[in-house]
Amino acid sequence: MKKLYTLLSIISFITMSQFGYAQHIAGSAHDFTTQSWNSGVGAEICIVCHTPHNANTSVTNAPLWNHSLSALPSYTMYSSATMNSTAGQPDGSSKLCLSCHDGTVALENFGGVTTGTHPMTGTSLVGSDLSNDHPISITYDAALASSDGGLFNPTTQVSGLGGTITANMLVGNKMQCSSCHDVHNSAGVSKLLVKSNAASALCLTCHNK
Amino acid sequence: MKKWILLQLILIINISPILTAQSIVNSKHNLSISSRSIVKSTNESEICIFCHTPHKSNPASPLWNRNNPGSVYTLYNSATLQALTGQPDGSSILCLSCHDGSIALGNVISRTKVIDFETGNYMPKGNSNLTRNLKNDHPISFVYNSAIALSDGQLKDPASITAPISLERGKVQCTSCHDPHKNLYSDFLLVPQQNSNLCNSCHQRTYWTGSSHSTSNHLWNGVFPNPWPFADQSMITVAQNGCESCHNSHNSKGNLMLLKYQEEENNCLDCHNGNVASKNISAQFAKTYKHNIKGFINIHEANESALVTNMHVECIDCHNPHASKNQTAKAPFVTGFLVGVKGINQNGIAVNPATNSFEICYRCHAGSPGAPASSTLRQIDQNNVRLEFAPNNPSSHSITAVGVNSNVPSLIAPWTTISLMYCTDCHSSDGTESPVGPHGSIYPHILKLQYLTADNTVESTTACALCYSCHSRTSIMADNSFKGHSKHLASRTSCNVCHDPHGISSTQGNSTNNSNLINFATSVVSNSSSGIRRFDDLGLFHGRCYLTCHGVNHNPFTY
Repeated sequence: MKKLYTLLSIISFITMSQFGYAQHIAGSAHDFTTQSWNSGVGAEICIVCHTPHNANTSVTNAPLWNHSLSALPSYTMYSSATMNSTAGQPDGSSKLCLSCHDGTVALENFGGVTTGTHPMTGTSLVGSDLSNDHPISITYDAALASSDGGLFNPTTQVSGLGGTITANMLVGNKMQCSSCHDVHNSAGVSKLLVKSNAASALCLTCHNK
Repeated sequence: MKKWILLQLILIINISPILTAQSIVNSKHNLSISSRSIVKSTNESEICIFCHTPHKSNPASPLWNRNNPGSVYTLYNSATLQALTGQPDGSSILCLSCHDGSIALGNVISRTKVIDFETGNYMPKGNSNLTRNLKNDHPISFVYNSAIALSDGQLKDPASITAPISLERGKVQCTSCHDPHKNLYSDFLLVPQQNSNLCNSCHQRTYWTGSSHSTSNHLWNGVFPNPWPFADQSMITVAQNGCESCHNSHNSKGNLMLLKYQEEENNCLDCHNGNVASKNISAQFAKTYKHNIKGFINIHEANESALVTNMHVECIDCHNPHASKNQTAKAPFVTGFLVGVKGINQNGIAVNPATNSFEICYRCHAGSPGAPASSTLRQIDQNNVRLEFAPNNPSSHSITAVGVNSNVPSLIAPWTTISLMYCTDCHSSDGTESPVGPHGSIYPHILKLQYLTADNTVESTTACALCYSCHSRTSIMADNSFKGHSKHLASRTSCNVCHDPHGISSTQGNSTNNSNLINFATSVVSNSSSGIRRFDDLGLFHGRCYLTCHGVNHNPFTY
């Protein structure tokens, strides 16, 4: 009985601790409240991306989107001779990320503002050439895992985030920016990763190498 | 309780190969701090980072995280290489960004600071460090197509190559043999190398299947040098080591043909020295009279003409290591040891392969520069062995055709007058336990038995042991053929004085004066008082000699 108690308490500690260590967007790389280009809108954190009303709905299922979207007609996508997936143009939530990270829209162009002068620069800028970036907006399903041979089956492989890869990391079976990055910094890991990449744990969640 | 432990043990044993073998995490390519290998970083926990980055990679595919070494490499080359090699490209240049030793292992694009390593920041010297000198490594970054397979003649058509072996955009790259992510078999090889499985995926050497080197179960006896220094522990026989018995695909000391050693014969003699092969060939070359394989280096060329024009001799001039096998044959045909070797036929035409054993000897002994001159000066001098053994000669030992003489009463069974013989029936290593073949002998001319040729040699079973091994001494001394044999031998005239053991060329001699291998040694036999030095054949066992020998004037003597 005592043993069972000990076990239970260990389990509960582990479970609880995830919440205990949960981080927030405040103070993260996505907290722009102190940025010079953002000085005109006070201390609102969410506003750069979200608005409660009159949101931009041009991207399906966009979460009350407030930032101007990129007008780029197309991106150069990653390709390789051994890639089994078909990389199309960015879609879904990745388009929302690119509304800042492709560098064509000023960071302060949100809430109807179109005259911003501060496009993204530096290491976070991915640009319009995504050929040197991990492919996104690709369907990652059991069939792909099977044909590639170097990927786990996402429908059965656990993500380490509570369920399967499909459940926790994909959106409509697609890999998106959000598969690796949590824009709201819930995990509190550098580069807003969904989980720690120590020992390449994030890469090896999907890549069976 | 014990059952539990047992079950757990079984579970661990069953799972552990998967854990240790199939993941990069447990391979030497895990350079992170968690690595079990020696070459590892001091503080970096990420594994993929040493090669890959999810953003801002260069080159874009495969999300590469390292800089191009920008080196100029010395490439592999050989006289028989069909492929057009260029500077490394494709995935190979990515591999070289660590494996040429020029860029720090921890120098990755996605980190501003070089990741430090415990063993020094660069690839340690040794087998994994290929350096910028790739001439001792298997060629890479060359197009491998049907045309190359065809012109080489000993390569598979690339269309027939099956997974997991693959080409990268039609080229052989490091990844054609290695999977950097999975060390299933040692050295990150795609398929087990036992029995040269990997090499044989592309290479299909003529004769290889069934050759001794591909089938022998001989083991190394443990006496150094180790013939297989880089072999996987599971590879303990000649057959298992296969190609690697002689070739190293990387950092080969021999460079040419990726051989283990630059000295051609050393590639053979580290097995054929009594340590692996059953016969000690190496010992033969310590003898005074030998084919002096150690006297030449880097002269033999794989594509040299069948007729050797630049004096040298190496094991591979007579033996094809991809073909040799222990298989007997009947003269004049090549035995298994000489299969797949080029030669010069009786008409002086190059043949590949030689079908008759003597054709291999003709490569050098049929007019090549540097071939040994006759040691006995005779009436008719001929140094081209091919002419000495021509089938239409007035007389010759029966190397190429049945001898002219149908009455040779001295022949010891199984020899008969219709027997054919090998050059090696006379020219072979001495000693009954020695391997067959003219490797080395204590007797001049690499003769297998004593053959004393000096004038005034006292006749005995040993003085003429070579002749007496086929020609019965009893018969000779009983004067069964030439009735003066016993008298001449008793007066200290050796066989060699009257007989020219090879034969007399039809271009110089004739059947009257040169039957029965008669071609007098001029240092012993001089003219008769009438100024004639000649033998006349007068029919079976009858003849006439004009000459002076040991002061005896034959002017003529008739029998």
